[in-house]
Amino acid sequence: MTAREAGLVACQNCGQVHEGDMQQCTRCGGYLYSRGPDSLQKVWALLAAGIIAFIPANTYVMLKTNTLVEHSESTIIGGVVELLHHGSYGIAIIVFVASIIIPLSKFMAIAYLAISVQRRSVLNMHQRHKLYDVVEFIGRWSMIDVFVVAILSALVQLDSVASINPGIAAVSFALSVIFTMLSAQSFDARLIWDADRTQS
Amino acid sequence: MTDNQTPADLDIRAAKLSILGRLSLVWIVPILALAVSLGVAWQNYQDRGTSIEISFENASGITTETVIKYRDVTVGEVENVEFAEGLGEVIVTARIDKEIWPYLDDDAEFWVVRPNVSLRGITGLDTVLGGVYIEGNWDTTADVAQYQFTGLESPSLTLADQEGIQIVLRATDGSSLSKGAPILHKGIKVGYLEAPQLSYDGREVRATAFIEAPHDARITTATRFWDTSGFSVSVGATGLSLDVDSIASLIEGGIAFDTVVSGGLPISGGKDVFDIYDNEESARNSLFVNPDRELLELGMFFSENVSGLSEGSEVYFRGLQIGEVKDLAATVLVESGAQTVQLRTSVLIEPARLGMGNDATADDALALLSELVTQGLRARLISGGLLTRNLIVELYEVENAERRTIDTTTDTVPIIPTTASEISDVAATAENMLARIESLPIEDLMSGAIDLMDSIEIIARSEGLQSAPDELLAILTDVRTLVASEAIQGVPADIDAIISQIDGAISNVNVITEQAFEADVVGQITSAIAAAERTIENLDAATGNLPEILAQIETLAAKTNALDIDGLVNQTTATLASIDALIGDDATVALPSTVNDALNEVRGLVSDFRTGGSADNLNAALASASEAAKAVETAVFDLPALSRQASTLLMNIDTALIGLPTIMAELEALTTKANGVEIEALVVQTTQTLDAIETLVANEDTAALPASLSAALDEMRAVIGEIRDGGAINNANEALNSANEAARAIERAAATLPALTQRANQLAAQTAAILDSYGERSRFNAETLSTLRDIQSAADAVTSLARTIQRNPSSLLTGR
Repeated sequence: MTAREAGLVACQNCGQVHEGDMQQCTRCGGYLYSRGPDSLQKVWALLAAGIIAFIPANTYVMLKTNTLVEHSESTIIGGVVELLHHGSYGIAIIVFVASIIIPLSKFMAIAYLAISVQRRSVLNMHQRHKLYDVVEFIGRWSMIDVFVVAILSALVQLDSVASINPGIAAVSFALSVIFTMLSAQSFDARLIWDADRTQS
Repeated sequence: MTDNQTPADLDIRAAKLSILGRLSLVWIVPILALAVSLGVAWQNYQDRGTSIEISFENASGITTETVIKYRDVTVGEVENVEFAEGLGEVIVTARIDKEIWPYLDDDAEFWVVRPNVSLRGITGLDTVLGGVYIEGNWDTTADVAQYQFTGLESPSLTLADQEGIQIVLRATDGSSLSKGAPILHKGIKVGYLEAPQLSYDGREVRATAFIEAPHDARITTATRFWDTSGFSVSVGATGLSLDVDSIASLIEGGIAFDTVVSGGLPISGGKDVFDIYDNEESARNSLFVNPDRELLELGMFFSENVSGLSEGSEVYFRGLQIGEVKDLAATVLVESGAQTVQLRTSVLIEPARLGMGNDATADDALALLSELVTQGLRARLISGGLLTRNLIVELYEVENAERRTIDTTTDTVPIIPTTASEISDVAATAENMLARIESLPIEDLMSGAIDLMDSIEIIARSEGLQSAPDELLAILTDVRTLVASEAIQGVPADIDAIISQIDGAISNVNVITEQAFEADVVGQITSAIAAAERTIENLDAATGNLPEILAQIETLAAKTNALDIDGLVNQTTATLASIDALIGDDATVALPSTVNDALNEVRGLVSDFRTGGSADNLNAALASASEAAKAVETAVFDLPALSRQASTLLMNIDTALIGLPTIMAELEALTTKANGVEIEALVVQTTQTLDAIETLVANEDTAALPASLSAALDEMRAVIGEIRDGGAINNANEALNSANEAARAIERAAATLPALTQRANQLAAQTAAILDSYGERSRFNAETLSTLRDIQSAADAVTSLARTIQRNPSSLLTGR
């Protein structure tokens, strides 16, 4: 039996349980709803925005490096390739995983979760919930690329000798991560269990 | 929870039917994201420049990161570097900003900027650190834009929109032209040369030059360019002059120009062609001549030696230069079947300089010259100057010449007949004279003298001579008797009388001389002096050849040096020994008695003289002497000429003195030689001789001489009495008059001396001036000093730069 079946609804803000027909939380004044309204729509919309933002993040310049002798602009993939050329495999793998693998995995994971709520899934509810937890957890670390760019830009400003500036891709990447995180947050994990219940 | 508790009714709302109604507002977010992304992409696409291709032969340093700059602003970037088909060129694909591209018409040029160190400075230093970039240059008018360009190998010096004009300079020799060489106007750089190129036919070198505004207004059709590269040294009467332009032009060459006459037409501005002359002088000389003038080539065969004639020697006609010698070449002539080789002198005549106008053709000039040749025009060689051996060709009009014509058939060029040359070679004449002096048989003369001395020695040893002293003693005795005579005693009184008469005569002479003064004598002398002065001037110029003459004299001295002086001295010594023996001989001691006898004879003679009409004869003789004095007087009138010659001689000596040191050296050698001669033996001999003479004098006969002399004087007194009685005095008076006039004449002649002295002074002053010109304040020194100062300041600048860099190396990086 679920809270919904018991005619109860919990406040999402403070956790106070109310009667099912209550519109507003008596403790904190927040709106009460049994399931997030238009949850899946939000998930899909924000996911789409994240994917759209991810495209320029990979095609445009991430890092503009100016030194006395050189002026170089590198995209994310270009940077990874360059690192590989220099033999820094470890860092290359980290950058590649953080900047390419994880965002893509998140897109796929969120999309899968959203689909699985509406349709049948091969994974059981516990596995899907775990997946959701992982996506939520990892979301905050997706900004590692942006952090690196920001720190480098802030540190390396030696006038004409050397300077590093973020490119358009940095902004795009940040937006992509933000949208993805919002998308993941918009997903109401309870829907996973609702589907299960309707099944059984 | 209990089971009977019924759940509360949930407020389950019906699903909305409208799809639009069910859509959440959150969909705006992806739509916005999409829009922004598309917008950015679109803008990027729009901003992407136009793709152009530039082909380079050498693309060293160009990478895909290389930027293209226009006036130091980045306007594009290289996208791709690849080889053209056939690997002959490198094709650089680049994107150019859309706003810039329309200006890339066919005048656009691209080149790769690399570091370049030249005499004019260092450029492109930033590319050492930042890598090369491609610089573009095009004007500010948009025309038909192109997609493909050919890159230049080296930077274009002229920015396309720079104010000024482009002209083409051509020269026969490109060694003084180099890219970037400055073009100077009154010493100020107003432009520069682009890279010189050989013309298609390989006959000349052409270089495009750019004259910056506003100096381009100075270029007219009357402008002439000349080469100022290197430095020039000229030696003249004012001293040594060293001309050095900027150090850069010293090494890289430089071109200067000037517009000397007004009236030049403005040039079209479409790359007009100008000639580069070798130096300023020839550039100025060429002002009135059209560079594209038509020239008439004439040939001529000189029978004389043409050494001294060279390519470029002038051709004169009535004192005006009308052309120059083109070349001297041997040519084979066929004369009456036999082949002979002759030197043919080819000259180029400019018709314009014959006064035929600028449009005159070579044929017109040939027609004119043909006409003149039939009237007697001939070619001949004349000296180019008094001092140089340079020859020049002169077209000379021979009077009453036989009729000849220009020969246009024998050779490839018309042959103009020649006539005898007029070569006044002072040096050659002087050399001939010296050669003759040198060939004089001096050795023979010396041996002759030695022979003569031998003969004298033999005579002196003869017995007759040794008895002479005795005779002499007798003569002296007679003379003494003569002097003691009363007639002689009265002589002083007579002389008094004569002197008073001479006084009177002198006053007469004064009158006469004044008359002579009024006569033309003075004028003649003055003109003679003028002539002398001219001669002196000529000589002044001529003396330049004296060094050669001095060399001859030196040879002569050397020859003299080699003479057999030692032998001569030995001979003299021997002679003296002989004389010594002679005098020491008893016969010589007996000489006085012989002389005495002779004097007796004389005494008898004098007596005869007195009795005979000899005195009258003497008078006649004095008259002759007077006439002779007159002759001397007239001769004195020739003195100016004499003094002129003397002054000439002085001038020569003056210059000859310069050669003195060497001669002195010769003399020194001679003296050294003379030193080695046995003088001591000579002295001993002489001493012995003197001893002998002493013995002679101590002889009794010699002591008897005075008595004889007094007798002889007596006789003479009688003679003088006779003379007094005759008209001898008057004759003497006349003679004195003549002498007086002669003295006057000498006085006049002496008056020319100041002028002579003045000439000498001028010469000395000139010499001093020439010497001074090498002194401290001369132009030569000043130029050299200023050049050195320039070099020093340049070195200082480099030092300070080095010091600055040392102190503050980062200034190189930060650009300060």
